[in-house]
Amino acid sequence: MNQNEKFQLRTETQEGRCIVYLSGELDLDSASQLRAAMAPLMELTDRELILNLRDLKYIDSTGIGIFVSVLKARHAKNAPFEVEAIPPGIRKLFDMTGITTFLTKS
Amino acid sequence: MTADEKITLKLPAKSDYLDLIRLTLYGIATKIGFTYEEIEDMKVAVSEACNNAVLYAYAGRLDTEPHGEMEVSFVRTVDSLSIVVKDEGHSFDAASVAQKAEPLHGKSIQDIQAGGLGLYLMQALMDEVEVRSEKGTEVVLTKRLEKSGEMA
Repeated sequence: MNQNEKFQLRTETQEGRCIVYLSGELDLDSASQLRAAMAPLMELTDRELILNLRDLKYIDSTGIGIFVSVLKARHAKNAPFEVEAIPPGIRKLFDMTGITTFLTKS
Repeated sequence: MTADEKITLKLPAKSDYLDLIRLTLYGIATKIGFTYEEIEDMKVAVSEACNNAVLYAYAGRLDTEPHGEMEVSFVRTVDSLSIVVKDEGHSFDAASVAQKAEPLHGKSIQDIQAGGLGLYLMQALMDEVEVRSEKGTEVVLTKRLEKSGEMA
């Protein structure tokens, strides 16, 4: 069944890395939750910031917009940022909008 | 559903209801015979149209005023599904937004911005997108039913 899944995020801090796991549906309603969680993490310039999208079921321009602002903020601070484990359906939207090259290393 | 049948949802223009709209779309599009991928495309396009209604149509409304509404209609024609998202708020300048509707390909990090991506995605994911601004805004998103899915 294609049931909507509530957006959730979990942060895992390791030495030198901070990984944020996103799951469920990231839409306009859940966007503020992600923005609030990312704000303090964006300041941690001494470690790599990674968004893991393995369990993310939905995204639209709201979520992509947040990724763009995190990307720009990290770039301005010369701090590493990457998005990993992008599911095919979400990858398709990233490719369409042209954001893929900015978010991934290869 | 037979030709030209219409289902309409009328709801407060609040982000709480976006998941309900996607669930309804999923139910209707599945019943008509769209593929999983087509339905995923439509979900994003419809959400983009509703996001605009939620964010801009009733901006500036006081908390004491009643909440504005949006209307989402699903119209089945012989060979397509049209989703009509309508609000009665401040209409946004569709022409100027359409000009900004472009992807980020070939830009530098400094130059990229998320504005305009919503309309760009609607256009990329649907077969037809029409934006009418008169009293409020009306966005008509159409996806054609592929012939391959039809029974011989």
